[in-house]
Amino acid sequence: MSVLQLGAGDDVRDAPVARANPVAKLAVALLISVMLLLTVDVVTAGTALLLELAVLPWCGLSLRGLLRRGWVVLAGAIPAGLVTTWLGLDSGAVLVAVGPVTITEGSLLAGCAITLRILSVGLPGVVLLATTDPTDLADALAQVARLPHRFVLAALAAMRLFALIGSEWESLGVARRARGLGDDGALGRARTAVGQVLALLVLVIRRGTRLSMAMEARGFGLAGPRTWARQSRLRWSDAVVVAGGIVIVTVATAAGVLAGTWHLALA
Amino acid sequence: MARSEEMSPAPPAQQAGPPATVPSPTHAPSGDDGGWGQLTPRVLAPAVGGLVLAAAVWAVGLPAEPQVFGAPLADLTIPVAILLGLAGLWLAGWTATTREPWRVVDIVTASVLGVAGGFLFVLWNLSWEVLKAPLAAFPPASGLGVGVWLVPGVLGALIIRKPGAAVYTELVAAVVSALVGNQWGFATVWYGLLEGLGPEVVFAILLYRRFGLGAAIGGGAGAGVVVGLLDTFLYYPEFSPTFKVAYIAATIVSGVVIAGIGSWALTKALARTGALASLASGRDARRV
Repeated sequence: MSVLQLGAGDDVRDAPVARANPVAKLAVALLISVMLLLTVDVVTAGTALLLELAVLPWCGLSLRGLLRRGWVVLAGAIPAGLVTTWLGLDSGAVLVAVGPVTITEGSLLAGCAITLRILSVGLPGVVLLATTDPTDLADALAQVARLPHRFVLAALAAMRLFALIGSEWESLGVARRARGLGDDGALGRARTAVGQVLALLVLVIRRGTRLSMAMEARGFGLAGPRTWARQSRLRWSDAVVVAGGIVIVTVATAAGVLAGTWHLALA
Repeated sequence: MARSEEMSPAPPAQQAGPPATVPSPTHAPSGDDGGWGQLTPRVLAPAVGGLVLAAAVWAVGLPAEPQVFGAPLADLTIPVAILLGLAGLWLAGWTATTREPWRVVDIVTASVLGVAGGFLFVLWNLSWEVLKAPLAAFPPASGLGVGVWLVPGVLGALIIRKPGAAVYTELVAAVVSALVGNQWGFATVWYGLLEGLGPEVVFAILLYRRFGLGAAIGGGAGAGVVVGLLDTFLYYPEFSPTFKVAYIAATIVSGVVIAGIGSWALTKALARTGALASLASGRDARRV
């Protein structure tokens, strides 16, 4: 299943942004998502999306790779915009009226803004997740961002089990099929699914307990200084990446404020 | 081990459980005073302070000036008040806990639980798109499916029983879901963090002492409120207030039933298999 691929793949080229420290890429993605989620307007989200698309050639993702990894964002953004267009608060001139459903200038604009916002928030995330190896991310989080290393490394170790969890889920499903379970209507299928989840959790927790014993036996979690096989450092190029992110949100927000469309979405 | 100096009457590592004075969380809260025994002024101060500050902000309201990018600051009154109140309560709960440090087995189990939760997210992300189609006639009903995404946080807290377990487990699950790729992209990580904070605040208010059915329901409701508010804020900001209220009600119901009661039932069943033997929840289950 190609859906179950974790981390950087072979469709990612070496490029300045792809090479940046994962923490720098993470900072940019966090900054852009916070600043763009504050507002619902076409100008801010549209400007940000244009700027992000302009930077894309330096991100190491081919158009094919972007589509392969980003289609799910697109699949979420377009329905959300359509739903808002149909059901959002009406204002302005009525464009289409079919029964109870009315599409007005206001709701159409709001729908476009929602779609653009999801896309502009999603794109940096797609680039971050596509160009970052989980191991590099963990090294950077523990060494550069100074998060508690026991948690970061345990999470990384657990992520290594992801593919295994997938194959265990499949074996459990096959075993249940062999016993003739899960074939009696929607309710029976739901009950079988819950049972399968429980069985998976039992396997996973047992494996986790064994894993922790193995890790402790190798000295994981001891008090005292920790050494690192892979060094993760910030370079000047990382500062450039972060500065680029700041420029994108500043220009986009300024454009929204100047156009008078920026408004806080919290109210 | 890092925790050795903090647990001076140190029992051997395998038995390092909650101190004997902590009542069994599966007992009814009435009658035993141990759970709230540490309600000292130092604990009460942040709770009362946070609530008073929140009430003050609510009553007075933030000033219209200065404007934030053309929007009056007063728009933020209610979110700021809620945030202050929750922060005070959470801080109080955090101060009052005995703060046993996380052991390696706690961390690793929470991590694998998170990754398993992330795997189930990946399945649910795809199947919910299909399952919610019949609900299109009444769009707020789509909130009924969010409970599945809230399970890892509540389940992590019920199984690990440490401060921060809900946030950590839910965050790991969300990161896995985002790394695999889903229709929400990076926003998943924010969702995971906040969906974990919802139950975390509830368990902190209970001083990390109660992990029974009531606490699980509270945790699920907390997560449901958070995800309902987030969704109306991020995805449905242009909808009518009636829609928003109906949607948040649906997410709370889903959080209580699927994440709250569901996680509690899963924890009971897991304890019966013996899989939790080396964890706080497993020791407790054996005693009952």
